[in-house]
Amino acid sequence: MSLTDIFSIKSVCLIGASREEGKVGNTVLKNIMKAFKGEIFLVHPYAEEIEGIKCYRSVELIPHPVDLGVVSLPAEKAVEAVRSLATRGCKICIPVAGGFGEQGREGKLLEIKMMKEASKHGTRIIGPNCVGVIIPRIGLNTALTTEGKSQFPSDGGIGFISQSGALGLLTMDKFSDAGIGFSSFISLGNEIDVDETEMLSVLGNDDRTKSIALYLEKIEEVDSFLSESKRISTKKGIVVLKGGQTEAGIRATSLHTGSLLRTSFSLRGIFRQSGIILANDETELIDIASALSFSKPLKGKRIAVVSSAGGVGVIATDLLEKNGFIVNRPSDSLSSRLGSKISSIGSPYNPIDMTAEATNLQYEGVIEELERSGEYDAILAFVLFQTYGVTEEIISYLAKFNTVGKIPIVVGVIGGLYSRDALRKIASRGVAAYPSISRAVTALSALRERGVYLRRFER
Amino acid sequence: MTVVPELEFKEMLDKLNFKQPRRSVVLEPRDYEGRFPAVLKVSSANITHKTEIGAVVSDIKSMEELEVTLGIMKSKFPGEVLYVEEMAKKGIEVIIGLVNDNQFGKLLMFGVGGYYSELIKDVTFKRVPIDRFDAEDVITELKYGNLLDGYRGLKSDRRVLVDLLLKVSDFAENLDFSQVDFNPVFLYEDDYLIIDAKMVI
Repeated sequence: MSLTDIFSIKSVCLIGASREEGKVGNTVLKNIMKAFKGEIFLVHPYAEEIEGIKCYRSVELIPHPVDLGVVSLPAEKAVEAVRSLATRGCKICIPVAGGFGEQGREGKLLEIKMMKEASKHGTRIIGPNCVGVIIPRIGLNTALTTEGKSQFPSDGGIGFISQSGALGLLTMDKFSDAGIGFSSFISLGNEIDVDETEMLSVLGNDDRTKSIALYLEKIEEVDSFLSESKRISTKKGIVVLKGGQTEAGIRATSLHTGSLLRTSFSLRGIFRQSGIILANDETELIDIASALSFSKPLKGKRIAVVSSAGGVGVIATDLLEKNGFIVNRPSDSLSSRLGSKISSIGSPYNPIDMTAEATNLQYEGVIEELERSGEYDAILAFVLFQTYGVTEEIISYLAKFNTVGKIPIVVGVIGGLYSRDALRKIASRGVAAYPSISRAVTALSALRERGVYLRRFER
Repeated sequence: MTVVPELEFKEMLDKLNFKQPRRSVVLEPRDYEGRFPAVLKVSSANITHKTEIGAVVSDIKSMEELEVTLGIMKSKFPGEVLYVEEMAKKGIEVIIGLVNDNQFGKLLMFGVGGYYSELIKDVTFKRVPIDRFDAEDVITELKYGNLLDGYRGLKSDRRVLVDLLLKVSDFAENLDFSQVDFNPVFLYEDDYLIIDAKMVI
C-alpha cells in the first residue's frame, strides 16, 4: 500500500466520533464532513447516528475496506482501533491522540504494538500525536481546530509538512486567510511510521505540489533526507524552518574549527548543497514557499522596482541592494520609453516612480517595456491601491504577466483592509504577492537562491 | 582525543602537495636553509595554541638573531622539536577547517580567518565531499565574502580557492580525524599558502 494514496482517498472511517460540541471527536467529524467528496463511515459503540451519519458498531461491519482511518481515541483504545482498521484493509491510519512515546516508556510500548498491528497488513500510520492532514483537492480535512475560529486552505501548490501540529495549523490559518493555496498539510506527530523524508518524497512526486515547506525539529536520517531533497529540488523548491538546537557540536573544542562549530554552526551551508532554502520563521517559511510555487527562479540580480509611491521605491532599493541585488539604471533609450508611459512628474529611472498619477495602464506599459528591454532579471512592482488610478482590474494583468512574462514578477501591496483584500485576490490568482517591502525582498532573495542553485544543472 | 604533532602533520601535507612556507627542523641555526625574515616554532603534541605561551617567535631577521632565539627556546622548551619557517608575505586571511560531527558527519568549514576568526564568526559549513558548485557557494554565503575580492592592495583568485577547497574535501574523505584547522590560509593573486595547520584525531 502506498502513501501516495493520500491524494486519492475515497473513503474515511472515523473511530471516536462524538456528538458533544467541542470534543475532538466532534470537531474532526465536522471538519471531515465539511468538504470531503468521498464516503464517511463512523464507528461507535452505541450511537445510531452522529451529525446525521450512520454509526457502525465495529469496523468489521462496514461494507467495504476504507482508504483512511482516523482514530480519535485515547492511546490504549487507539491501538485496538488501528488493529481493527488494519485487519479490515485500511490503507492509511491517523491516530490523533497523544499519550504515546512522548510520555515515556509505556507510551513507547503502545507505539510498538500499534506499529506491529499495522505493518502486518501493510497499513501506513501518520502520527500518532498529530493534528491530522488537509488535502484540499479532495476536500479532506481531519484537523482538530474548531470551525469558525480558523480558516482552511484552498487548493494550491504548496505542500506543507510539519513536525509541530499546532504551529503548522496556526501558520495554515494565517496564510489561508491571505489567499495562499496548499496542495496538502501533513502533521507528522510522533512519526512511528511515516517520517519527514518519506513524506517529502511523496510530495516531491506529486505533480500538483509546486513547492514544499517543512517545519522540522529533528531530522532522523540526515543522509536520506538530504539526498532525497537533492533529488526533488531539481524539480521544485524546498524550504525548511528548523526549530530547536541543532545537535551539531562536539564536546571538546581544542581547535578553532571545533569552537566555531559550537558557537556558529548553521544548517544553511549544508542545506544549500541539497537545494534547500533555510527560513528564519514561520512567516518566511510560507512566504518563500509561495514565491517558489508561484514564480520563476531569478536568473540574475538586476531588479526593476516599480511603484506609485516614491518612498516605497527608495526603501525597496535600499533593502534590495543590502541583499546583494542591483537596482540598475535603465539605458537611455529604455528610460525615454518608460518616460513616455508615465506622468511627466514621475521618474523613469530605477526605482521607477509613477507618482500618485499612476494608472493601471501605466503599470502595464512600464512592466512591458521592462520585460522587453532585457535589462532586468525580475520586476518588483508595488501595486498600491490607495492610488486613485490603480484598481482591481490590474489583477488579471498581473496574473497574465506572471504566466507569460519572460521574467519573474513579485508584487507588494501595502495597506489596510482594502489592500489586504486585494492582496488576497492577487495571491489566489497564483501571483507572489506580499504585504510589506521586506517580505517582498525576502521572496526575491529566495527566488535568486533557487536560480543560483539550478545553474549547476545547466552547464 | 589526540593532538598530532604539528610538524608531523605539516610533513604529511607536504607529501600531498598542499602549499606551505618552506620549513627546516633545526638543532642549530645552520640547519635553516630558507630566507629571512623567519619564524621559529615548537612542534609538540601538547601545545595547540602556541602563541599564548610564547612557543612561536616571528620576524627573525638574520642568522645571528636566529642563533640567540634558538638558544632561548631550547632552554624554555627542553626536549621539544623546533623548526623554522620562512615568513610568508601577507595575503588575504581565511580559515579552512574540518570537523567530524556526530550527526552530520564530516564537515568542511570555510570562513573569514586568521587572528579574528573566532571573533567575527563569519563561517559556513558544508558536508564532505563538496563539488565545485559548493566550493563556489561558500564565498557567496559569507557576510564578508567580498574580502576575497581584495582590499588594501591584497588580491585573491577564486579559482585557486575553489581548487584548494576541493583538494581539502578529497583529503578529508580519506582521512580519519576529529578536527583539522588550516588557519590562517593566505590567499594571493595567483596562489595560496597554508600558514598553520593542526590536526586532532
